[in-house]
Amino acid sequence: MRKSFIAFWRRNIAFCKLGIVTNLEYRFNFIVDAFVQPILTVGIEVLLWLAIFKTAESAQIGGFSRESYLAYAVWAPFLGRIAISWMYESMMVEEVGSGSINTVLTRPISFFEYYLSQMMGYKLITTIFSLLIPITASFYFDLPVQYLKIPLALSLVIFYLFLVHTMSFIISTLGFFLTRVRSFTLVKNLILWLLSGELVPIDLMPAVMKKFFLIMPFSSGVYIPLAYITGRADIELILIGFRNVSIGLVIAGTVSYFFWKRGLHEYTGTGA
Amino acid sequence: MIANFMFNAKKYLSLYKAFFKASVVADLEFRLNFVLLVCSEFIWYSTQLVLFEVLYRHTNIIGEWNIHQMRVFIFLVLFVDSIYMILWDSNFSAFTENVRKGTLDLLLVKPVNSMFMLSSQKISISHIPCLFITGAGFLWAVAQIPDFNYWKLFWLFILVPAGLSVIFAGRFALNCSAILFTRADFLQYLWYSMFRLGLRPDAIYSGFLRFLLIFIIPFAMIASIPARILLEPINYGFLTWALILPVLLITGVRKYWSYCLKQYSSASS
Repeated sequence: MRKSFIAFWRRNIAFCKLGIVTNLEYRFNFIVDAFVQPILTVGIEVLLWLAIFKTAESAQIGGFSRESYLAYAVWAPFLGRIAISWMYESMMVEEVGSGSINTVLTRPISFFEYYLSQMMGYKLITTIFSLLIPITASFYFDLPVQYLKIPLALSLVIFYLFLVHTMSFIISTLGFFLTRVRSFTLVKNLILWLLSGELVPIDLMPAVMKKFFLIMPFSSGVYIPLAYITGRADIELILIGFRNVSIGLVIAGTVSYFFWKRGLHEYTGTGA
Repeated sequence: MIANFMFNAKKYLSLYKAFFKASVVADLEFRLNFVLLVCSEFIWYSTQLVLFEVLYRHTNIIGEWNIHQMRVFIFLVLFVDSIYMILWDSNFSAFTENVRKGTLDLLLVKPVNSMFMLSSQKISISHIPCLFITGAGFLWAVAQIPDFNYWKLFWLFILVPAGLSVIFAGRFALNCSAILFTRADFLQYLWYSMFRLGLRPDAIYSGFLRFLLIFIIPFAMIASIPARILLEPINYGFLTWALILPVLLITGVRKYWSYCLKQYSSASS
């Protein structure tokens, strides 16, 4: 048992390192991904909120101050970028669609693990570097951010990533049955973007919608960790987030298991 | 000279017609994928509307505009964006891959203008429904403006092409740069981040940044300036700029393309 766990751990660490190395290979690419893009996104969102508060009738909107929304504008794109998977999902879909999945199937690692570890490596390296941007902006604008809460908030986001990856896995298994599945990725990621609270703070939503958004596990990607960091919510909401993601994982895991088994049964390796 | 122009125009129109037919067939081949692509575009456009609708529940003015004026801006930006998506986006998205895999060579050796070939080969049919919806939304938004002068809509024949030239030139220039780098996925990321500047009204920017967005990296021309011309007293300076800008941008991007082509070393074996 112990031996098999060590083997499991070692191979996953190896693929995690592979994810890091692959993304650091082209430095300019990495710099744009980790720095330029987040800076631009944060800058535009901050300017929008500054403009809103400049002309707002009261010092508070939806019960929160200007600094509180600036904190949201600074941290939401950062968390949103961690909590979504475009690149690795596209690669998984491509592997299944092109038949090159054969090379993974013959290795002593599962398709799910292979990409999960690589994605975690990629997320780890971009998170470490990109984290400098919201922290610097928070200090600069003197935003109401409780820095000691960041580790727990990021733990929830990382836990949420397992759910995101399981959903990516489900989408990629659709490639066993359908020729083109790129549109599923688009639809899924746009819905997640909306439901996570990255686009609009969930506090500003009408009460019924707010309740609905918080029941779903997707708010654990952006809104809940952000609300916790900025003091809009306490640890209770974080625990609700962990619970919702766990339920989501059970459901998505069951669906993915079913799709994978059925898919492999249908699949004919073309020897790509 | 006129005969030559007519011959070329006819040639390119017939080519474009062939591209359109091929794109329709290719897009409709996978029906579920097509339907989901249409849905995803509706979701994307809806999110842009939802953002401002929610914000205006809590404030009356953003920048200098109320909700009715902002709707004109949003629908206009989405309308221009859907034209861009139909005509060029799928071609530009494939550009870096063409450079990396060496398939660019095949396109360069065709007996047609290489910029035309690279930017117009694929037409995105799934965005056509969005064009109609955003167009209808724009007209509805304009109808909500009290005492709107409908004759002003004719200015859009100058302003929309000017906005499109900004998107075309910006995206094409970034894509050209893919020739200079080995892996250039970041150019796509960079574009989407920069394009967000155009998705917000220019009134939220101030000082040098606003100047930058009007004159240097003119994303304000996509929808902010056109919306201003429709909603506010006409600024003839902006109209003149809308006439000059496309000429400058297209000339610039052609020169940059020629320069990049000189640096190009084929990746195919």
